[in-house]
Amino acid sequence: MNKKNIPQMAGAALIAAFAIFPFVYSANDYPYIMHILITGFFYAILASSWSMLAGYAGQFSFGHMGFMGIGAYTTALFSHYLYLTPVPTNLCTEFPIGDMYLIILDPIGITSSTLTQDCLRQALDIWDGSVQVTPMPVWLGIALGTMMGGIFGLLIGLLVLPLRAAYLALFTLGFSEILRATVSAEIAVTRGQAGIELPYLFDNGITLFGHQFDKTDKLPPYFAMFFLLLACLGILTWLAKSKFGLFVRALREDEDAAAALGVNTVRYKVLVFVITSMMAAAAGAMMAHYIRIISPNNLIILQMSLVVAMAVIGGVEHFVAAALGAILLEYMLEYLRNSFEIGPIVVDMTTWRLVVFGILLMLTLRFSPKGLLVPMIDYFKRGHVRKETMAKRNAENTP
Amino acid sequence: MKKALVSVAAVAVAIAFSGSAAIAAKCPIKIGGLAPLSAPGAVGGGEAMRDAMLFAERDINAAGGVLGCKVKVVIADTEGLPEKASAIMEKLITQDGVVAIGGGYHSSVGVAAKDVSNARGIPTVFAETWNDTITGDKQQYIFRIAPLSSWASATLWKAALRVPNVKKVAIVTENTDYGIPAAEETSKGLAKNGVKSVIFGVDIGTQDFSGIIQRVKAEKPDYIIVLNTGEAGYNFAQQAADAGIGPQGIPFQAGQVALESKAWWQNVPDGNYAFVQRIGTPVSTWNAKAKKLNEDYKAKTGKGAIESYALEAYDSISILAQAINEAKSTDGAKIVIALENISHDGTLGRIYFPYGSKKDPSVDGKGDEWWHQWPDPAMTMIQYQKEGELSTESVIIWPDKYKTGPAIYVKK
Amino acid sequence: MEFPVFFWAALGWMMFWGVLGSIATRYVYLHKDLDTSSTRLLGSMMGAATGPIGLVPLWIKTPEITTRLIIFATLGTLGVFMTAFALADPGNLCVTNGSFVASQISNGVIIGIIYGFMALGLTLIFSILGVVSFAHGEFYMIGGMVTYFMTTVLFPEVTPIVGIAAACILTFMLGALFERLFLTPMYDGRVDRPVEYGILITFGLAFTLQYFVQATVGANPVKAKRFFDFPRLRLPSAEDPWLIKTSRGNMELFETISISNPRFTAAVMCILVFIALMYFLRHTWTGKALRAVSQDRQAAAIAGINPDRMNMLAFALGSMIAALAGAMLVQAFSWLPQVGAIPALRSFVIVVLGGLGSIPGAFLGGIIVGLVEAAGTGCIPDPQKAASYIPAYGMIVLTLTLLLRPTGLLGRKFASGTHGKF
Repeated sequence: MNKKNIPQMAGAALIAAFAIFPFVYSANDYPYIMHILITGFFYAILASSWSMLAGYAGQFSFGHMGFMGIGAYTTALFSHYLYLTPVPTNLCTEFPIGDMYLIILDPIGITSSTLTQDCLRQALDIWDGSVQVTPMPVWLGIALGTMMGGIFGLLIGLLVLPLRAAYLALFTLGFSEILRATVSAEIAVTRGQAGIELPYLFDNGITLFGHQFDKTDKLPPYFAMFFLLLACLGILTWLAKSKFGLFVRALREDEDAAAALGVNTVRYKVLVFVITSMMAAAAGAMMAHYIRIISPNNLIILQMSLVVAMAVIGGVEHFVAAALGAILLEYMLEYLRNSFEIGPIVVDMTTWRLVVFGILLMLTLRFSPKGLLVPMIDYFKRGHVRKETMAKRNAENTP
Repeated sequence: MKKALVSVAAVAVAIAFSGSAAIAAKCPIKIGGLAPLSAPGAVGGGEAMRDAMLFAERDINAAGGVLGCKVKVVIADTEGLPEKASAIMEKLITQDGVVAIGGGYHSSVGVAAKDVSNARGIPTVFAETWNDTITGDKQQYIFRIAPLSSWASATLWKAALRVPNVKKVAIVTENTDYGIPAAEETSKGLAKNGVKSVIFGVDIGTQDFSGIIQRVKAEKPDYIIVLNTGEAGYNFAQQAADAGIGPQGIPFQAGQVALESKAWWQNVPDGNYAFVQRIGTPVSTWNAKAKKLNEDYKAKTGKGAIESYALEAYDSISILAQAINEAKSTDGAKIVIALENISHDGTLGRIYFPYGSKKDPSVDGKGDEWWHQWPDPAMTMIQYQKEGELSTESVIIWPDKYKTGPAIYVKK
Repeated sequence: MEFPVFFWAALGWMMFWGVLGSIATRYVYLHKDLDTSSTRLLGSMMGAATGPIGLVPLWIKTPEITTRLIIFATLGTLGVFMTAFALADPGNLCVTNGSFVASQISNGVIIGIIYGFMALGLTLIFSILGVVSFAHGEFYMIGGMVTYFMTTVLFPEVTPIVGIAAACILTFMLGALFERLFLTPMYDGRVDRPVEYGILITFGLAFTLQYFVQATVGANPVKAKRFFDFPRLRLPSAEDPWLIKTSRGNMELFETISISNPRFTAAVMCILVFIALMYFLRHTWTGKALRAVSQDRQAAAIAGINPDRMNMLAFALGSMIAALAGAMLVQAFSWLPQVGAIPALRSFVIVVLGGLGSIPGAFLGGIIVGLVEAAGTGCIPDPQKAASYIPAYGMIVLTLTLLLRPTGLLGRKFASGTHGKF
């Protein structure tokens, strides 16, 4: 057996394990474990796309959660405000489309008297069940969210073109913060801190493998998120191996040199922003439909720091490692919640787990800057060239 | 290095299969307790509720437990995030195997959490979530002992109307689903009685209010109502006091956080004469249970007195324990029937739920929000009239039923 | 707002010409082979202020871009914007009420001085190490916490100076220790990308410190007592105190501007420390060495300065400054472990606006940000939203600065070190 193939084989085994896990696991806490894994996949998409942006392309953006939020809010607003009916309500803003009417609900924000203000609910009361109202398809919302993420990614990518390093980090942080403040202030439209509710990912249930799944079942969203993760990892791997990856890495090492060598730095820099933002937005949109509520608190810096920490601990320059790191750490964070007792002292882990997490992040950065998982993968992959490379590196580092 | 890979694989397997050992045992009977214990939730409130719920566990067990078992209250941290709520509910129900859930602080968390417990058939008694929609959806498993937002707002504007010569009221609110509906209801109630009002919304966690205070001042209000939770409630009050429109400058109703007397006097040294809305009957009418809890709570936390939301949290757990005993089962549907028929002597008074599957609220011409809702948590307006006094000992100025003294309206 | 259409139309007009001006002016100057470094800023400001009337002559004559010209155009833009606002919303307090405007401005300046002082620490760290410390807010928080514990819990009788000193010493040591343990790999090429490493490692520190304090101290809001009370003053006379009127916690000037005691003390303290710091940087050997390192690392090393020790000193000093700001404000605000997040973001805005690494720029930036926040909170017509957007105002300033003049108001180009590029 070739040592070099071990990481690939381990990867395949892991994918297989995740694919069969929902079928073989049957303990009482099944929904909870499934939930952690779905959340883990969600963070894995964010961490791996962020590692492409930050680790590969060297664009240390702190706006990734902002793009996630754009995806989530796009689909949330889309499904919250738009409906199709066969007859006009004569109460809402509406446009005829073919033989249907597109209904746009009024933004009413959060009040105690929602019922008397919601024009569609009033119309439904009048119709008394005689008219079928069609909500917008969830997949269309997710697609729109992804697109919107791409559009904003393009915009931000263009705006940050002249910025590097610290300035880029601060600019993207600013973008994210403006977005959060806007969402939480425009209560009439976004429902602010209360969060906006979304329909289920599979609102009518779904039949998979000859089995009918209810909308509350965890298995369909598990596979939806899992396949989204695999798709993202696939795209990232393909990109990294193609010319794109090479150029993008050249960007990171020395942008001016890359430009001098004829790399169209503008195009690649913007492109990497667009692609990674779309991934974040897609993950956000899907997660929002799974959790069924999105609020501006998802955009706070703490959430962004979780993604950054997951990617760094996994391996910021290796997106598979970043994804694995995210899944492992999400599990760890949930697991560490359990308080324990040392003699008479009860250690409340609710907060301490985050201290542990922070220390782990710092130690990883300091002593294993490539992350905790990457060195293992590297060991197998480059085992045979290791000595040579090390010798070269040492020679380079000696002045 | 190979070992490392093996360990990775081992971790992966461990992820896959850990927890399978955690199967709900018959004893002890577990009850979940929701409380925000990390940011961005209101951690201060969450910790108070946690302590109270653990006292409830102790007292229930001291009284012989439930169905011959000990009771264990499993505290779960909601982080104040609606999106965390569903995860935490799943964990409580499926991993910890709780049979019922109490507590709950943030309204948005309650709105998200109620659907999970209802779908899984776990009776839930919310302690401090005011938003009307929580009971307004008439879900089978959802109960509430906190006051309704629309109704609590009524006490706000009724108290405001008592201020002499009141023409204009400034309402400062956090932009959450607790603050905004309450502010709007209050504003509507005032408008019906010919009093103008201006609503100022602020982001939660705002520290520096100086700009907005100048605006409030320029409106020349006769009364100020603050609907900020957490430290923002203190920050606004003290900064308003510095600018001359604090509790000693004009009639001023502080946020709920003012009930935590020790913290209030430390954070708002110029906070005398503030009005505060308080839930629960006056201390003088407290039963032995409430008094004992207050003493224990003070001893444990070092606070001046127990807060109303801690009392609510305590009652939400004890009422569930009584319901399980009366249902003689941990089956959710049976507990719900027991709750609908319950008469519980809690620290807040006698708790019961008149409306539910036996009797729809519409029979009495009431709105859906009265479903599974305790109809009379006592709502009072107190006023600090001596610097450093405890909220439990201050003068109750409203309503007349509980009144212990006249209000002092400071002159501008 | 009375005529929102008019306001938005005016804003749209300004934005159109601003964007066109920033792009086209740069193109014109580039085409004529002239210095393009400030063309974006001048073009956008000229466009926003005058539209084609000013832009066309600019493009034809392409004068040398002077600071005076830029200031002129910027003031023009501000003037046009304010006029449009005043015409669109004639009933707004900011238009009709002079004393309201005066008190908002004084509020903005005073809090801006404190913000600027805090940002000073960040800029000091950046100018020496080339690192933007993401843990700045946490040092601010710890400064306040230590002061609270010293003055209110442990030794309530002693003077607050002791508490402030303790906060300074502790954070200075913490900063130095952190720098020694975690930042040293940046200097000798042990990490590939030192700037990013610096961002991430301070990020980790922030995370750790915040939750460590929460786990040990808890999350109930605390506050220190007022450090001192104002003496009772009535000037010029007790009957008609139109000039100054004080109570214990408040001072009123000209019967319109009211300044609260804790802010006043904090601002005065910040100015005093700022003067001391300037003296230290300009007139002591260590201070000169610090400045030398910030200008040219290698040359400084040749001159016998140990840049490594300067790194440690700068990080410790910068963190201490943040802590001092916190120590002064713990008497004004209720204190929590999360309290540092917003001031930290604001400090980022200020240093970018003032110019990363520029000490006077930090002060100027602080005051401008203070004023912008005061204007936003005070003048936005809808009272439900005005204060909700407070965190966004600064970020809009940040975005505009980075787009129009990334070097900031008083920024300079760096000669050496890892921070040569922006």
